[in-house]
Amino acid sequence: MIAEAGAAGAGPLRDRLGRAAASYAGFLPAALLFGGFFLVPLAIIVCYSFWRVVDYSVVHDWTFDNYTYFFTTPTYVSTMWATLWVSCLATAITIALAFPFAYWLSRHVPRRLRAPLLVLVVVPFWTSYLLRAYSWLTILGEKGLLNRALEGIGITSHPIGLFLYDRPAVILVLVYLYFPFAALTLYSSIERFDWDQLKAAMDLGAPPLTAIRRILVPQVKPGIVTAVIFVFIPVLGEYLTPQIVGGTRGVMIGNLVVNFFNAAQYTRGAAISLLIAAFVIVLLVVFRRSLSAPEAYGA
Amino acid sequence: MELPTPLSAAIGAAPPLGAGAAEATPEVGCEARDRAGISLRRVTKRYGSRVAVAELDLDIRDGEFFCLLGPSGCGKTTTLNLIGGFVAPTEGTVWLRGERIDTLPPHRRPVNTVFQSYALFPHMTVRENVAFGLRMDGVPKGKARVRVDEALALVGLEAQAESAPAQLSGGQQQRVAVARALVKRPAVLLLDEPLGALDLKLRQRLQVELAQIHHEVGTTFVYVTHDQEEAMSLADRIAVLNDGRIEQVGTPEEIYRRPVSRFVADFIGHANFIEVEVEGDAARLRDGTRIPCGGRHPDGPATLMLRPEAIRLVAADDPEGRLSGLVLKASFLGSQMRVAVESPASELPLILSLPGHEATAVPEPGTAVGLAWGADDALILEPAGATPR
Repeated sequence: MIAEAGAAGAGPLRDRLGRAAASYAGFLPAALLFGGFFLVPLAIIVCYSFWRVVDYSVVHDWTFDNYTYFFTTPTYVSTMWATLWVSCLATAITIALAFPFAYWLSRHVPRRLRAPLLVLVVVPFWTSYLLRAYSWLTILGEKGLLNRALEGIGITSHPIGLFLYDRPAVILVLVYLYFPFAALTLYSSIERFDWDQLKAAMDLGAPPLTAIRRILVPQVKPGIVTAVIFVFIPVLGEYLTPQIVGGTRGVMIGNLVVNFFNAAQYTRGAAISLLIAAFVIVLLVVFRRSLSAPEAYGA
Repeated sequence: MELPTPLSAAIGAAPPLGAGAAEATPEVGCEARDRAGISLRRVTKRYGSRVAVAELDLDIRDGEFFCLLGPSGCGKTTTLNLIGGFVAPTEGTVWLRGERIDTLPPHRRPVNTVFQSYALFPHMTVRENVAFGLRMDGVPKGKARVRVDEALALVGLEAQAESAPAQLSGGQQQRVAVARALVKRPAVLLLDEPLGALDLKLRQRLQVELAQIHHEVGTTFVYVTHDQEEAMSLADRIAVLNDGRIEQVGTPEEIYRRPVSRFVADFIGHANFIEVEVEGDAARLRDGTRIPCGGRHPDGPATLMLRPEAIRLVAADDPEGRLSGLVLKASFLGSQMRVAVESPASELPLILSLPGHEATAVPEPGTAVGLAWGADDALILEPAGATPR
């Protein structure tokens, strides 16, 4: 009896496994790509971060030195904190500008004008990132547009160097560069909102701000979270913008990575890259409930 | 309006006005008897140069089922929004039970709305939707729960309390919207084409339900619709709006039997319009026939209005016949028979509607007939293309 049952059970089980294998076979290309281009390189970087460089070559000596070196060097630690607050501030400003824009676009712009306006938002992507960052030099520089305009109006008598080569310039350019991502994501989220709901909430006794907090925000939250992630993660690893408009005072953690790799300090560079990755993971864990895949890809 | 007979009893609606209504709804104070539930005083709303509502004067009584009826763009939804607080009047004032409310924001008005789109909150359950207004008012949890249950029972949705709005049918969502608004026990319930999104059968069923709910709670209902049949079947009184102005306010029967303008006569039910010339106490038709019209009308061009069912078919030589003509076409439609008669007195053929069970024989096309009607059934209205009054 038992033997029979076992034999009878084994057949279907094998069948089931076979079917499962067959149904997962479709994932194979994706799994290979993901493994080959993401997991393996990541594993290499993790290993690098625990090795040492001796005479410009990597030695497979396991050590925490790279991490202790980073955290015991005050400049690096302060750069890390600066990167965090610059990223947070740039993200906050981007969202704070993109949200009203998306709101305005979906509420006050006639339907036929929305598509052209959205195209205008995306137009900057048609030029290279470098070009867009460099063009700010001609606006913010000592002989730039801004200084000349100020002198023209008579507010200043000599060029002000303040606009360039510091963190404000970095934040400004980052906001400019990442605004389209946030605007598109937020728009796709707000555009689906039924505004009668806000009217209904106020009709039921909610003051305007309560209505927004209780009714609008919960429903567009996935869009806001997605926008935050779309902006914060790339900004955290930025190195070109701080290099172009930030100068020595605008250095971000991404510049440290580049510097270390340029100086053949691969293991230290790897350790810092993993620090950035750690921040990203923390962010994703915090927001994991609110992040919806359709929202991210709908935009 | 001028019509003296109260008609609501004949229609079978709840007593609409005055002392009767005040007794039926005890929470209404004595002064409500002479103070309208809602009053709009010379209210004008302009959007730029476009006038949505012009110098509106309107009194809606406490406990009344009041319909704002008119074609799209006539200003009926704007009027509703003026009461609800979503639109501020450019000029004029809005009063609720003797207190001025046009300066209050929507959330401070004891008025709740059922939106055409229902505007249910998708991230809350049915119960949370209905409880929202009570939470905003700070009603204690236990008390709120009882009232939410009552409201859900009123609309028959106890079993769906924990569902999400998206799981409900259109009719159920509509009921949630009603329960959510009524749970706050508003002085006035505003309904903006609440059945517009539903199919005909469901709409008719929900009309009966809404009438029952109104009867049960006794709250003033202000109901916007463009469907004259819906307005006629629900309302104690109707205001017919056209182009931002009130054409007429009255019970369904008043509006049907005594329309004050061609627009109202045309919008409510069917009507025959005959172009006439008023001369003293008679109206002269284009073939010279003179029809007495009481002499209350100024001389000059005018319209003679006749409802299809007010005209009787008589023999061509019957002295009762006021007009003569030839039958163009007769169609038997079951409950009624429709006959088109061509007459030299009218540019357009006249349409008659005879009760189906009385019509013994369908008249042949070409038969010479006489047309008769009661002296009160013909109304003199403004001529085509003129503005009334």
